[in-house]
Amino acid sequence: MTDELKFPASGERSDSIGEPLVSLIREAYTPPDAAAWPDAYWAGLERRIMARVSETAEKGWWAELVPWARIGLVAATAIFAVAGIVNQQLTEPDDQVAYEAVVQPEITSASDEPIAGQYVAGETDAAALSYYLSN
Amino acid sequence: MRIPDEEHALAKAAREGDQNAFAGLVRLHQRRAYLVARAIVTVHEDAEDAVQEGFVKAYQAIGRFDTSQGFGPWLNRIVANAALDIARRRKVRTTEELTEALKSPFRNPAEDAELKERLAVALAELPERARSVIVMHDVEGFTHAEIGEVLGIPGGTARSDLHHARLKLRGLLKDMRDDA
Repeated sequence: MTDELKFPASGERSDSIGEPLVSLIREAYTPPDAAAWPDAYWAGLERRIMARVSETAEKGWWAELVPWARIGLVAATAIFAVAGIVNQQLTEPDDQVAYEAVVQPEITSASDEPIAGQYVAGETDAAALSYYLSN
Repeated sequence: MRIPDEEHALAKAAREGDQNAFAGLVRLHQRRAYLVARAIVTVHEDAEDAVQEGFVKAYQAIGRFDTSQGFGPWLNRIVANAALDIARRRKVRTTEELTEALKSPFRNPAEDAELKERLAVALAELPERARSVIVMHDVEGFTHAEIGEVLGIPGGTARSDLHHARLKLRGLLKDMRDDA
């Protein structure tokens, strides 16, 4: 095992993890391609970033709204669904009445029809009163 | 904070919609941004995604950027947030995958292979914030205040986190030290 990774002894003032370990971490966190061709790697990453930036710029303010579009769509669907249910419940009694009016024609019983000569309250009284007054 | 003239000019021009100026800011800051992202997500591909996402978000928000402030800390905060989002989505990633991802950049795998593998495992075992604080401070030279700004914690907390993170890393690598 190498001596390079010896950490500062506990009595030492420095709290640092030590330069050898720092170097190893830096090496471990170097992008794979950047180790061999650093200039090419960083130029390539810059191109990819700027390609995305240009794409975003072309889309303009729409790009900022895209993440909200899905949420808006779901919300709008839910609102339409609720409105549809409420509307259906409100119009149902009218429809029922209209339906019944069509499929159940009014059936009147024979007993409801006035019979000729039968006493009809009000009508006969008025006629009698008119007769007495005129004589 | 003293802002370099070049960065100040680029940031002002980028705010006015100059894409070439923004490319200049990318050139200046992409390496540090990559390291910030990598410290959080540990995997190269995820770090690249976070950096790209961070720069795109920075471009979209450049109109709200205060040019009297440094572009770097502002950008790194955005990149760190993008990396944290990715890290949350990738919580299921196994330690083995992380170890492989950390091993891959070494140019000579045979050299100090055991040492590097142990370091890779130790870094992967560190909590996300502890790892980020160590990498940002000890490797990249961020101040406690800058780390606090990037991670959204007070500078004093960053200092305390750094102390505990170093202790934990030393603990994880203790047998390595004893062997040496």
